[in-house]
Amino acid sequence: MNFERLATDFAGIKMKTPVMGASGTFGFGIEYKDFLNLGDVGAIISKGLTPLPRSGNNGVRVAETPGGMLNCIGLENPGIDVFLRDILPKVRQEAPDTAFIANFSAGTVEDYGMMAAKLDVDGVDGVEVNISCPNVKEGGIVFGTDPRAAAAVTEAVKKNTKKPVIVKLSPNVTDITVMAKAVEEAGADAIALINTLTGMVIDIRTRRPLLGNITGGLSGPAVKPIAVRMVWQVAQAVKIPILGLGGITCGEDAVEFLLAGASAVAVGAENFVHPDAVVRVAEDIDAYLEAVGLKHVSELVGQVRI
Amino acid sequence: MLVESGSIVTNDILSDDVRCMVIQVPSIAAEAEPGQFVMVKNENGGTFLRRPFGIADVDREQGRILLIYRVAGKGTQELAGLEPTMELSVEGPLGGGFRFESDGLEAGGRTLLIGGGVGVAPMIYTARRLAELEPANKPVFLLGIRNEGELFWQDYLKDFTEEIIVTTNDGSAGIKGFAIDAMPEILSRYDIRHIKICGPTIMMEGLAKLAMEQGIECQVSLEKRMACGVGVCLGCTFEGMISGKRWKICHDGPVFPAEEVFEK
Repeated sequence: MNFERLATDFAGIKMKTPVMGASGTFGFGIEYKDFLNLGDVGAIISKGLTPLPRSGNNGVRVAETPGGMLNCIGLENPGIDVFLRDILPKVRQEAPDTAFIANFSAGTVEDYGMMAAKLDVDGVDGVEVNISCPNVKEGGIVFGTDPRAAAAVTEAVKKNTKKPVIVKLSPNVTDITVMAKAVEEAGADAIALINTLTGMVIDIRTRRPLLGNITGGLSGPAVKPIAVRMVWQVAQAVKIPILGLGGITCGEDAVEFLLAGASAVAVGAENFVHPDAVVRVAEDIDAYLEAVGLKHVSELVGQVRI
Repeated sequence: MLVESGSIVTNDILSDDVRCMVIQVPSIAAEAEPGQFVMVKNENGGTFLRRPFGIADVDREQGRILLIYRVAGKGTQELAGLEPTMELSVEGPLGGGFRFESDGLEAGGRTLLIGGGVGVAPMIYTARRLAELEPANKPVFLLGIRNEGELFWQDYLKDFTEEIIVTTNDGSAGIKGFAIDAMPEILSRYDIRHIKICGPTIMMEGLAKLAMEQGIECQVSLEKRMACGVGVCLGCTFEGMISGKRWKICHDGPVFPAEEVFEK
């Protein structure tokens, strides 16, 4: 891999490649150390953290769907304090040179600010604000579907941290550009999209929903065209950089997101299937750059020909 | 733990809906321990996620693993249609497997292995290991199946076991009823010191409670829908009865002490 060609500064977060492991699909990065070289990962985005430990939803939490999967984990995580005390030091030990982005959500605007302040520490290179989890009542999609609430959360986070702030948007809205502009105006340094699309599966034998939480978030290749379309729309509407994700399984997929206007990408559900996916996608992008004769990956960003 | 491309050696029919597949995966075979599992994906197939399967047996010399699976959904239907020499992507070995404790066995005590339904599969390799560890003191096996059409399991188990006690739901072979119905007789005839179980949750719960009441060390192998198999997706977590910890079945298990899973 030619790291000169791939090195990316995303909203001030310095990465060896433009490919990150998406929140909730990459653990804290260290879970995958047997399968890939963590040093070759652009950035690790942590599992969603919350003010207190959460055990998540009951019942079935993951299910295969055509071209992807549904999940309703419900933000299970050990809580911010255990993360800072026990997990972050391990991450920094195993992956000293890899950018680490902490994803978090909270139930109130004040708690979003508190979380941002707690994460404003060495070893965290940026934060990703989750206002789009479809699987929990508090903290998440409530803020992600109302532009004023999204702006309030963004302001509270910005006020409490010096780290680059990425706000992760929900696709479960009528016009995603409204949300994107609201968080840009409120001071977000970057936007990540898309989080999962709300979906449902019914078991026709039992006539019950398959998932314990009735509905869940759809991810995987099935959502990719929607994600590419939304990245393209948001790229027209805002000036801040975009982290594109949703159904990426290979370098070709990633290049689509870059052409649509994303400055970096994240691999999500595909990590579950191929635990080396984050590095393989970066290698694929590099091979594409070589093949088309480009000197740097940034030359692709927003270059879709309309 | 690694991802290895494996060639299918055989993929045969054992009953209406149960199949057995031998895969050539030397690196995984060299490491696999009883109770561990693999995540399998047909890279040319139509499903997205890998599917978890307990490792039924291992031939380290030949570099092969055996999977015995029930055709239950799209993923396993597709698997059943594959032929020898076709390639499969196999991730593993995953999880931790059974713990083998020898206390009480030197005095003539026995280990009781219990398998229910397709949960019998990982107990074959477990029985093989026990027979190797204690050749003079092979395990007793309680086989809980639906009907006589599933007696094929005995062929895999007979060399590694002292005795196989069969229960069938319809009484077409062995004792009519559930596995637990055979327990009074087994406990009266053998000095059971350890129990290891893999089967449906409802079956394991009753048996584990009985073991705990009797003060017999008991381990259960759990199964739950999972996407990743390595502790990342958190699809398969549960809260430990005693520790209160959030366990990941794929990563911390799939084998747990009974008292951590079921209420006494």
